Amino acid sequence: MAKITNKDLNQMILRNNAARLTFNYESLQTIGLMRAIAPALGKIYEGDQEGLKRAMHRHLIFCDSHAFGNAFILGISTAMEETTAEDEKESITALKTGLMGPLAALGDSLVKFVFVPIFGSIGAALAFNGNILGPILMFVLYNIINWGGRIYGVKIGYFKGLDFIEKNNETNILARITSMANVVGLMVIGSLIATTVKVSSPLKIVAGENTIVLQEMIDSVMPNLLAFLLTVFVYKWLKKTEGKHTAATIIFLLIATVVATYFGIL
Amino acid sequence: MFLVSVWAFICSVDDSSTQMIRRPLMICTVVGLIMGDLSQGLLIGATLEVMWMGIGNVGAYTAPDVVSGSVISCALSIASGGGVATAVTLAVPTSILAQQLIIVVSTVMVALNPYAAKLADKGDVKGTNKLIFFPTLAIGLVRAVPTFLAMQFGSGIIEKVVAMLPEVVMTGLGTAGKIIPAVGIAVLMNVMIKDGKMWIFLLLGWVLTSYLELDVLPVTIISLAFAFLFDLASGQGQVVTQQSISTEDDIEGIEL
Repeated sequence: MAKITNKDLNQMILRNNAARLTFNYESLQTIGLMRAIAPALGKIYEGDQEGLKRAMHRHLIFCDSHAFGNAFILGISTAMEETTAEDEKESITALKTGLMGPLAALGDSLVKFVFVPIFGSIGAALAFNGNILGPILMFVLYNIINWGGRIYGVKIGYFKGLDFIEKNNETNILARITSMANVVGLMVIGSLIATTVKVSSPLKIVAGENTIVLQEMIDSVMPNLLAFLLTVFVYKWLKKTEGKHTAATIIFLLIATVVATYFGIL
Repeated sequence: MFLVSVWAFICSVDDSSTQMIRRPLMICTVVGLIMGDLSQGLLIGATLEVMWMGIGNVGAYTAPDVVSGSVISCALSIASGGGVATAVTLAVPTSILAQQLIIVVSTVMVALNPYAAKLADKGDVKGTNKLIFFPTLAIGLVRAVPTFLAMQFGSGIIEKVVAMLPEVVMTGLGTAGKIIPAVGIAVLMNVMIKDGKMWIFLLLGWVLTSYLELDVLPVTIISLAFAFLFDLASGQGQVVTQQSISTEDDIEGIEL
């Protein structure tokens, strides 16, 4: 049995990138993940063709997580394939299945709810002023995170994965980081409502000789109140419809805004 | 036109693999460069980036396709001289249509499963490389071909439509671009607010920016402190409890 080297791990990192290409509605990214681990399996089961076949089938059992989670799962399952005896191989599948959900939640809440909105809003603010640094900065910052997760996911998974799992059972670190990321994400989202959603009304209320500009009145009570109320309203609506009509909601808002502009409400 | 389609192909494959350039800001900047109007590319990219802040594949939500929406709407509005309002309007239907096409591709890709099983039957490690040839081509073309067709046949029509539309509609569409981010943010809220008490953090972030006019970055840093406090307060860390148990043991030891 040949030892897994850094070169094999690097190949795994490269192949993990292509996992989503095989995305399909039966097995999601499973095939891509099997493809990513296959060369390592070939090395671990060198000269044991039957073992290799069983291993390849084992990694075709449904598994799907966030790209960073996939990286970690690939790393840790390689380490386990190396160390476990033939009759303990089922534990690998069990571990993968147990990890994919929590890791997907962690990856999504870190990358999609925290980093992308933050980098996106920083980049967009620069780009609105015609500054080319906006997209460049976003590209650089985002890819430091993107590649960091993909590379260190595999490496940490392989070298420290089992320790990490053991520690996680004691300290529940995975769930805790996820809920901390959730707090950060929600505060960022709250801030973004104030900076990105712009709702203002040119309506005026004429009372005798006084004209009250509605927007000024609202702003003096609570700035960005309309934006906040609208966002909460859309949130309630999406929640009620279980997110099935996101596209229809966008189209509705588009048309409603044009109509409202025509009547001078927005 | 051909170059934009090539860019669509690259972005499309990237979106399904390395995910380096999948956001509108980065996609549209390059479209602007190709079309020779960088400043429009930047402006449209920034607008779409903000508009689609929370849109992306999260959980069970099937998202409109940001990549196609960005490339096609940006290229067409630069070609037709329609500006940001045109881009916002085109981005919505193109992203939704492209989403349907991608659903078709993901369904067809189910055919990979028996092929992968066959490779495993043979223990064929080298053969696994072939698993991505067809998907790469299919995913690349599913965005490149519509881009090419839209630019070939669309820009003339859109130019005429834009010229025909009354001023108030264009203004309204511009305003809509600033209201639509509410949808993306609402999608994020749906995924993130798992229990009622989490609302307070959303409110806090909003107040910090609304009243104190803090940017996103300082709010993020403040939020780290709150995240840490939240972790301490919710007491999920069993390290603390274990330590207290061990001190109890120590005390018992002393007493004995």
